[in-house]
Amino acid sequence: MISKNVTIRNASGLHLRPTGMLCNEAIKYQSSVKFKSHNNLTNAKSVLSVLGACIKCGDEIEFVCEGPDEEEALAAMVRLVESGLGE
Amino acid sequence: MLKGTNASSGIGIGTAVIVEEAELVIEKKTITDTDAEVLRFKGALDKTMKDTEALAADLATRVGEKEAEILQGHLMLLMDPMLTGEIENTIKGESICSEFAIEMVCTMYANVFAGMDDELMQQRATDMRDIKTRMQRVLLGVESVDIASLPEGSILIAKDLTPSMTAGINPKNVVGIVTELGGKTSHSAILARALEIPAVVAVSDFLTQVKNGERVILDGDTGIVYVNPDAAVEGEYTAKRDALLAEKKELEKYIGKPTVTKDGVTVELVANIGKPKDVEKVLQYDGEGVGLFRTEFLFMDRNSMPTEEEQFEAYKKVAEALEGKPVIIRTLDIGGDKEIPYMGLEKDENPFLGYRAIRLCLDRKEDIYKPQLRALLRASAYGNIKIMIPLVTCIDEYREAKMLIDELKLELDRQGIAYNKKIQVGIMVETAAASLIADIFAKEVDFFSIGTNDLTQYTMSVDRGNDKISYLYSTFNPAVLRSIRRIITCAREAGIMVGMCGEAASDPMMIPLLLAFGLNEFSMSASAILYSRKLITSLSTEELKAVADKAMSFATTKEVEDYMREFVAGL
Repeated sequence: MISKNVTIRNASGLHLRPTGMLCNEAIKYQSSVKFKSHNNLTNAKSVLSVLGACIKCGDEIEFVCEGPDEEEALAAMVRLVESGLGE
Repeated sequence: MLKGTNASSGIGIGTAVIVEEAELVIEKKTITDTDAEVLRFKGALDKTMKDTEALAADLATRVGEKEAEILQGHLMLLMDPMLTGEIENTIKGESICSEFAIEMVCTMYANVFAGMDDELMQQRATDMRDIKTRMQRVLLGVESVDIASLPEGSILIAKDLTPSMTAGINPKNVVGIVTELGGKTSHSAILARALEIPAVVAVSDFLTQVKNGERVILDGDTGIVYVNPDAAVEGEYTAKRDALLAEKKELEKYIGKPTVTKDGVTVELVANIGKPKDVEKVLQYDGEGVGLFRTEFLFMDRNSMPTEEEQFEAYKKVAEALEGKPVIIRTLDIGGDKEIPYMGLEKDENPFLGYRAIRLCLDRKEDIYKPQLRALLRASAYGNIKIMIPLVTCIDEYREAKMLIDELKLELDRQGIAYNKKIQVGIMVETAAASLIADIFAKEVDFFSIGTNDLTQYTMSVDRGNDKISYLYSTFNPAVLRSIRRIITCAREAGIMVGMCGEAASDPMMIPLLLAFGLNEFSMSASAILYSRKLITSLSTEELKAVADKAMSFATTKEVEDYMREFVAGL
């Protein structure tokens, strides 16, 4: 299991559009892709789960990946968030 | 006469068509073969997704990619393993039919979203209910209403328009929309605005007060709705609608035209914006650039300082969208009147005369000003960005800011980061002091922009929020007019650009005076641009000189206003 912190920079936080991008990336990997925030653990492969986490601009989240391709998954998720999730 | 919330501008007159989705009867049926029921659910899910995709594609071509995103969002929810997994588990675990399992699970999520303290999230509740009904309709074999084939001149009336309903709307047939529920930011309101269909939402109990085929009038600017109006009301609104349409057509002729006076003086017509998204409107109304980009939005409603990177992205986005047209970005203008907990600002006794704007920024270089200036410099590599400093009162403030910018330029050089080496740095002229020494400033700064709202407030020593003294607050006051004329004259003598970004820049009574004084750039809300272009192209600066001289000869605000009102009325 590996993990890394990253800060959400999208002005409206993780609303539907960036959440969709995040989940579409997460489901490409066999490993479990989750993130910790405000003491919750969220499944990054579920739009509903991510929306429910109510992540705002400036919030820090910790991605936690576990499985055969955890390295690639973690790197890809961090890169995607840092690139602004298409916004 | 009924009243709701104005959601999309314009007047709609037509025949009521009430769109009611047949109330679905969802029964709790017990299922023995739950595996087969799960398959039935999956089949319905599949069909709902295909239908949604088709709707999204149709909307994307007819209205625009942005509007289709609502339905793309629905697709994402339909694909969510958490949602579908939970529905399957409910079917199996409780041995109940798909329709009821969908009802339970989707309603649960809708309630969770509705209870969230965030408007964007609350809208997901509508999405959730919408996809719920659509899946159930597929399962029950109930056809949905075909809005695309309504007769011409229809006023669409519904409790609430679901995104899938709005997707079928054709502006050729639908001349207005009235709903019982919704708000200015609900999907139906956004779509109505995108399609330019007049709309009024949140008219309580409207469905009990109107029948199919009745005559309906709605005013999307005031939120007023009439059912079966008398001839006088109908006549009045028909005239209003026709005048609005004619005016809109007339103004559209000015898109793509240069802003040149009759005697050949070219001025710049640019827009004030508050966030990167506002650029869409600037381009729509053919703005020639951005004359004021307020950066406060980046700092508000959050828990920590925006990073340099975040600011860079926002500035770059605007600069790129304007494709080389000027973008004047004002550095942070904030003080003790705003609640920004993470900045740790103390409450000022007199916030507008206190620790704010450039005063605050120069005192907080490390955590506030440097990141903002670095972000602005870096973004300048992507377009024609100019930096504007607010609330300057003495030349030392400008010099200190300029020195900081020069230091940051050297830093960027060392790091090999690109920026516009010739970036212009100007000031907002909005204090009495800056106006009085405008001649001194004009020798050092790259441009002026007159902020009339604050200039009037500071010149007249009048709080604009105080009703008891509001009679003093007028840009037409002879003292304010003299100040404006002086600032423009000093800039022209020094050969620098001078603009105006206060409300006065789009005031039809003020524009003739500003042209006569020699203002180069007028910055206003995007929607005022075409009207102002029409006015400016009908005037001649030479002829206006006499008008300005006359206006400047009066002793009182009232005389100036009366004279200018009469002049504009005579155009």
